[in-house]
Amino acid sequence: MTSVGTGYDLSVSTYSPDGRLFQVEYAGKAVDNSGTTIGIRTKDGVVLAVEKIIPTKLEVPGSNKRIFSIDKHIGFASSGWMPDVKGLVARAREEAWEYQKLYKVPTPSKILAERIGMYIQAYTLYSSVRPFGAMPIMASVDKDGPQLYMFETSGAYYGYRGCATGKAKQLARTELEKLDIDSLSIRDAIKEAARIIYTVHDDSKDKLFELELAWVSQESGNVFSKVPQDIFDEAVQYAKRANDDDSDDDDDL
Amino acid sequence: MSTEIQNAAKSHAGRWEPYVDNGGTSLAIAGPDFCIIASDTRQSEGYSINTRYDSKVHQITDKVLFATSGYSADGKKLAENIKIQAEKYLDKNDKIIQAPSIAQMTSIIMYQKRFFPYYVFPILAGLDGEGKGCVFSYDPVGNMERVGFQVYGSASALIQPFLDNQVGLKHQENVDKNRTLSKQEAFDLAIDSFTSATERDIYTGDYLEIYTVDSTGIHKEVRTLKFD
Amino acid sequence: MSSSLLLSKKNSDVTENGTYKHTTSPIVTGTSVLALKYKDGVMMASDCLASYGSLARFRNVRRLQPIGTHTILGASGEISDFQFIQNQFEGLMLKEHVEDGQKLETSSIYRYLSNVMYGRRSKVDPLWNKYIVAGVEPSKNNNIFLGFVDLYGTTYQSSVMATGFGAHIALPIMRKYAEPRADSLTEEEASKILDDCMRVLYYRDARSFNKIQKAKVTAQGVEISEPYSLSTNWDFAESIIGYGS
Repeated sequence: MTSVGTGYDLSVSTYSPDGRLFQVEYAGKAVDNSGTTIGIRTKDGVVLAVEKIIPTKLEVPGSNKRIFSIDKHIGFASSGWMPDVKGLVARAREEAWEYQKLYKVPTPSKILAERIGMYIQAYTLYSSVRPFGAMPIMASVDKDGPQLYMFETSGAYYGYRGCATGKAKQLARTELEKLDIDSLSIRDAIKEAARIIYTVHDDSKDKLFELELAWVSQESGNVFSKVPQDIFDEAVQYAKRANDDDSDDDDDL
Repeated sequence: MSTEIQNAAKSHAGRWEPYVDNGGTSLAIAGPDFCIIASDTRQSEGYSINTRYDSKVHQITDKVLFATSGYSADGKKLAENIKIQAEKYLDKNDKIIQAPSIAQMTSIIMYQKRFFPYYVFPILAGLDGEGKGCVFSYDPVGNMERVGFQVYGSASALIQPFLDNQVGLKHQENVDKNRTLSKQEAFDLAIDSFTSATERDIYTGDYLEIYTVDSTGIHKEVRTLKFD
Repeated sequence: MSSSLLLSKKNSDVTENGTYKHTTSPIVTGTSVLALKYKDGVMMASDCLASYGSLARFRNVRRLQPIGTHTILGASGEISDFQFIQNQFEGLMLKEHVEDGQKLETSSIYRYLSNVMYGRRSKVDPLWNKYIVAGVEPSKNNNIFLGFVDLYGTTYQSSVMATGFGAHIALPIMRKYAEPRADSLTEEEASKILDDCMRVLYYRDARSFNKIQKAKVTAQGVEISEPYSLSTNWDFAESIIGYGS
């Protein structure tokens, strides 16, 4: 890294001569240290999937979740530094509730996205603060249908049909691009999401991981929630079979 | 009249009264090695009976009870606060707080609200550190006195003179002033006090909770009073 | 009017001499709420009227509100204060939902509300209501709960209860027909007692309305009826001079 030692990477309040904010970029590196998170938006719903890396098998199964409800119809999944993720989740919940309380309508996701984006951005302005080491993916179904947003460490955010962040984001994005998302049903999207997490997981780097799946769709009553166990099991089965087939092909070659 | 005084008078006139009297009567009698605590369970507001069963006696420790009367909401909150402090005492000192200490603490808790008092007439009763029966009575701002017996509440004027005579042995001639009541005598006096008071006081009635505290612990009995 | 003034808390406007003005009387009010325990749970009734003094101002107001899966909240008194409490509970229940918290059961909801009411009376800025909280508690062996709390923070529990005018007119009826049989009363019987009480109230309470709702909570959850009317008979008016003729 050529920037290291130049002095321009110490404060978030100073640009480098070529116009970069290194602290913001380093925050992105922090995100790349954690497991992969993906989101797929179909016509009838959104699915979020997380490869939750387990540092020790002493950890209680199902604990330290990386997927969070924000409002009834909105959810977050995030790679990155866990305390920062939780900080953003708490802020998002507050924003969603304040909006709901004031206007008596479910918070539209584009408004919540703007507020979260500006909140993250505010932490890139001052030398006294550290940018968030998290890239949350936000899923919701609102009056405009299913929505999927991803926030970057700069506060920039975009709407997606499919997005990925974390350790294997490149590989995951390649896999997402292969899908015909527009014609995918939510049920199939869940399977594909599970498959991609299993595909991009690197056994040689991290032995243990747990798959987390959550969705919001008509079938879930437009409530953001954990994918029901039977659908979850089916998706895992599909993911494992697909990966086994791949390795069989490798053997044949 | 100055405008300030006028304003003060006006604001006082429009002020909402934050107290209600929910009636009810509580009684306690201390014996040499026991204590009797009794309360009726009627909760009223004006001429309406809210409920026929609302306990006014609260257990603080395994030896001490706290009986209230007056404004029910304050009574419950005061009992809750005393219980919280008693638990804190246990956590800090690894020892169950004793009656005289609870009594002093109660006085302080009540005086802290000297200018917005708990509208409650409490009686703290049970066994003291030596196992003797004890009764502490208070006014709403925390004045405290250790007494041998006490009645507070809507029927206090009916029962207190009766106990003065029967327990305090007042106005009796040729009586052994050192005589103490037996547990059974005190228990029966408590019942007779309430059955009589119920006849004349509309705010006392429905059920009677009688607690006996002695070296074997706390024993509760519930008797019916009149429902009218 | 500035937006900050628009959003400033009701009932706490600063007066000229720098003191705060609090609620000293209710403005838009709902009349009685009735509730009783029966065999399978608890049932509640209220009418749909919000009065402005003696004016029947809003005639389609729902005063029975489900809170969570097994609790209903019935409100009489100041409607704006009730709406404030509804908002508080909406936030509380949403918090519970997103944080996967332990489900709040009826007695916890009642305790929360009681603390809010006592807290506000202690600030001498009361929420001008009488509330009945009713429900069934699945984790406590389907314990049937019925509790009351008012603007003084006064609380009590009972197998029958009524607020407002209902405490004078309907409560004696419920004490006679429902209270002694709270364990054996069927749903039909409970329903009929409440309808009869609401009818009597409609005959005698000038702030009542013949459009009512009934709600029940059983182990299966909350059910709140759509508003409906009761049959009435005003023939007796004929015989009263100066009433009908």
